[in-house]
Amino acid sequence: MIEPERALERARASAEEMRASGAYADSGAYADSGDAGFRVEPTDGVTTSQLIEWALIEPDPSNLYSTRRLGAPITFVKRLMLRGLRQYLAEIVAQQTRFNIHLIAYVGQLTLRVEALERGEQPHTADPPAAPQPPRPPVDGP
Amino acid sequence: MVVHQLLSAAGPVDAVTGQARAYRRAFESWGWGGSDYAALIDPRMGRQVKPLAKLDAQADDVLLLHYSAYAPRLRPLLDLPNRKLLVSHNVTPARYLWNYEPVVAVYCSVGREQLPEFARSVDVAAGVSEYNVAELTAAGARATAVVPIVFEPPPTGAAGLNGGAAVPRAPGAPTILFVGRITPHKRHDLLLRAFALYRRHRAPDARLHLVGEPLSPAYDAAVRELADELVPGAVTIEAGITREALWERYRQADAFLSMSEHEGFCIPLLEAFSFGLPVIARPVGGIPEVAGDAALMCDGDDLAVVSELLALAVSDPALRAELAHRATRRLAKYAPERALESLREAVIATSRARS
Repeated sequence: MIEPERALERARASAEEMRASGAYADSGAYADSGDAGFRVEPTDGVTTSQLIEWALIEPDPSNLYSTRRLGAPITFVKRLMLRGLRQYLAEIVAQQTRFNIHLIAYVGQLTLRVEALERGEQPHTADPPAAPQPPRPPVDGP
Repeated sequence: MVVHQLLSAAGPVDAVTGQARAYRRAFESWGWGGSDYAALIDPRMGRQVKPLAKLDAQADDVLLLHYSAYAPRLRPLLDLPNRKLLVSHNVTPARYLWNYEPVVAVYCSVGREQLPEFARSVDVAAGVSEYNVAELTAAGARATAVVPIVFEPPPTGAAGLNGGAAVPRAPGAPTILFVGRITPHKRHDLLLRAFALYRRHRAPDARLHLVGEPLSPAYDAAVRELADELVPGAVTIEAGITREALWERYRQADAFLSMSEHEGFCIPLLEAFSFGLPVIARPVGGIPEVAGDAALMCDGDDLAVVSELLALAVSDPALRAELAHRATRRLAKYAPERALESLREAVIATSRARS
């Protein structure tokens, strides 16, 4: 019998023996069987590229459902309402996406400026937005 | 004694709600009064839980706040003059969620930042494990207590519950089981990869049962896709099954494998112990404390080692028997009456605070 305290040691030795005979070639450190498929990637922050991806919002209609038992009719009604409100919701999505994209662009500019300052360079400042032009007076005819 | 329980949300498959219901049954058996309130109530809860707005606590009533994530609606209750007991059920680190459910990640992140304010504002701060209590102490809690999760074991008489003896392995294909929500910190991706190795090199006909509510339809789809890619047809994923069906999954299993990276307590360990199942898990969070010497611990850095541990746990009858024997001691330590006694002491200590 293997004592539970010695099982890990035994498993390690066994894995090494198996590797020596060519098995587990597909299992390195913190390994996987093949690199295919998704892998959980814990992160303490969100990258700019991830933010850009999220900026274009596309709510999934399949997330609209009922949690009640035998809730299929309720799910149907909810999705029917979604279709009925399609124009209005599209407008909301468009407005939110516009805001998200401009905000991401602004964050990107700030990031570049901070990086330049950290390198001790003079950051390139974007030209201030052009003031709106007053409407031209009507041109009199000759 | 009157104890009101306060939750951010209440739902039928929510673990915190389940604990609150178990607490309430104990309070009633002790002749204590009070009600349970939640800010958000799933319609399936019926009248078991009242809306938080209806809370009308008298000055001597004890308020028991359940905390598991950002709780803005519970925050104003900290200003009430009542004596308060906080039960922290552990907040999942946001780092596992940013890439998958950013909204939940925000709740967890802010929840962790808000925890010190709750811990410092209550009379007694309780955690479900020493691991949780260490967090509360670090957060500045004045008085702390360990109140283990009330684990209600499967009813005796069910096949598979045989007084702590290991269930003899049935001939045929081994079945591996994991029970837990399908969320990133449970690391189903590693579990599937370890199982794929086990199947490829040790048990070509092995099967894997995963039981748990998914974080989201998208995350559920990602896990299912990975299962189809690595071990097509060998994995069953179920959610929302009854208690009886869950016990049946344990009865059918030959070993319980967890690759989870964060656990405040981990009730499925005790469930597996109840069925005499050998358990392989990573020594993270509250797992070493709950499992003690009754599980095989492996850090998961090398999945080939996990695969070999699985092979040992499934095929060595003496090892299975020894683990099952040790499991009975863990079950005795976490017997529901002992957990409820800890709860009772914590509530009484709260009621006597400031006097």
